[in-house]
Amino acid sequence: MVEFKDVSVTYSSGVDALNRVNLKINDGDFAFVVGPSGAGKSTLIKLVLKEIDATAGEVIVNGFNLRKLRRRKVPALRRTIGVVFQDFRLIPTMTVYENVAFVLRVIDAPAKYIRSRVPYVINLVGLADKAKSYPTELSGGEQQRVALARALVNDPKLIIADEPTGNIDPALSYEIVGLLKGINECGTTILMVTHEHELVRYFGGRIININKGSIAFDEVIGGENEDK
Amino acid sequence: MKISSIRYLVHQGFKGIWKNRMMSFASFCIMLVSLLMVGISLLMAININRIIGGIEDKSELVVQIKDGISQRDIDALKDRISALPNVNTIEFYSKEQAWESMVKDMTKEEQDLFHYADDNFLPDTFRITVHDIKDMTLTTTQIGTFENVESTRSPTEFTDVLISIRRILGIISGAIVIALVLVCLIIISNTTRASVFARRKEINIMKYVGAKNSFIRIPFFIEGMVVGLLAAAGALGLTKFAYEGVYNIFNNDFKLWSVLGINNLYSFNDLFWQVTIAYAAAGALIGAIGTSFSTGKHLKV
Repeated sequence: MVEFKDVSVTYSSGVDALNRVNLKINDGDFAFVVGPSGAGKSTLIKLVLKEIDATAGEVIVNGFNLRKLRRRKVPALRRTIGVVFQDFRLIPTMTVYENVAFVLRVIDAPAKYIRSRVPYVINLVGLADKAKSYPTELSGGEQQRVALARALVNDPKLIIADEPTGNIDPALSYEIVGLLKGINECGTTILMVTHEHELVRYFGGRIININKGSIAFDEVIGGENEDK
Repeated sequence: MKISSIRYLVHQGFKGIWKNRMMSFASFCIMLVSLLMVGISLLMAININRIIGGIEDKSELVVQIKDGISQRDIDALKDRISALPNVNTIEFYSKEQAWESMVKDMTKEEQDLFHYADDNFLPDTFRITVHDIKDMTLTTTQIGTFENVESTRSPTEFTDVLISIRRILGIISGAIVIALVLVCLIIISNTTRASVFARRKEINIMKYVGAKNSFIRIPFFIEGMVVGLLAAAGALGLTKFAYEGVYNIFNNDFKLWSVLGINNLYSFNDLFWQVTIAYAAAGALIGAIGTSFSTGKHLKV
């Protein structure tokens, strides 16, 4: 669960990125966060990951009150969150398998569990035959699927997808969001930031529109795919 | 931390060296040159110290005993001098020994001339070496006040010069070593910083998936340590080669050194373990600490 209570963020440059934002995303929700550039979407994600701290208000993520969370406890928070970035951020010197297994190594998972869990997740995103490939040998869509597998592998409560379709073909975008929807149906909360209104219209669901640091619109809409 | 995780991190450290081989090689070369410079400066300082020490050990204080005193008085004086804390060895040199030695060094003509001398005019003496040459003047003065001492003679001016040389050399070599160590640390930390900077993305990703700082640091730490140890091994080989070359020149071609009363240089075998341990410790520490420090900046995500 993600909860923002009267959250404001003012950067040292004096820019007000968020202004008294109140927001609650329940466990199992799928929410699109939309809005123009500079509206505060990235700030929202940085807050959830505790990359930055709120100037005022309280942020609660998966039971962690981020205002009170000490620096050394940040890894514990991040282990409950999977992140998918627009630019994939895969480690180029590691194979697909290693990129995914790496997350479990970080959390000190048993070797036996790693050996069974990683192929399962890679298979889930449809890349079983690419496990030994390096990221540079994959297409954009495939790389994003690896990133998705990495976000998924330690079974996080929440997945944050920061414009996951920004760097891939439009046709593949639907496939990626489809995968996210599938993951969501298994109970994982998904928070997806996007610019692509067509995707939002197609899939529908909860839409949070941020503009000039405030929530302009927060409603559930029906998706075109449901109409079909 | 599980054993499998430790094994993984150590493996990652070794893998890192190969994956970033250009940077590793740059660090290796810089560390090798740095260790060589510091090592050779230290070895020079140690040997110069030994040479000066050798000269100092040979500096004697000569005590002339009053003529005509009894053997008992001579023994009493010897005991009194031996009791002084700074006195290392004391040797009695009789007037007969002195006479023989003087005649032996003479030319034939001089010997003929002295043949007619009816009396041995040379005094009995004590030849004394001291523990600490710095206190030689004080010891000389003390002995001068003893009963039955005719006079004392010591190379105080010479020893003062030696003491000054030793002090100045100590300061100079200390300053050179400190300066070199500082320069090395700066260069190495910059090289490792460049290496870490090249992998900041990797570190960044590790932070996002919830890696603890120690998990991120350990492979870099191992990588730095291994490169440092390799550089230490290289430096050890080169030092041995260079040192033995110089040592052989001094020992075989400049026998004059020992005639001058200067002790031989240390052989490389005398210093092998000290040099090996110092190089290994310095290489591993500088490598490991340098790398971990440079990683720190990128951990604040």
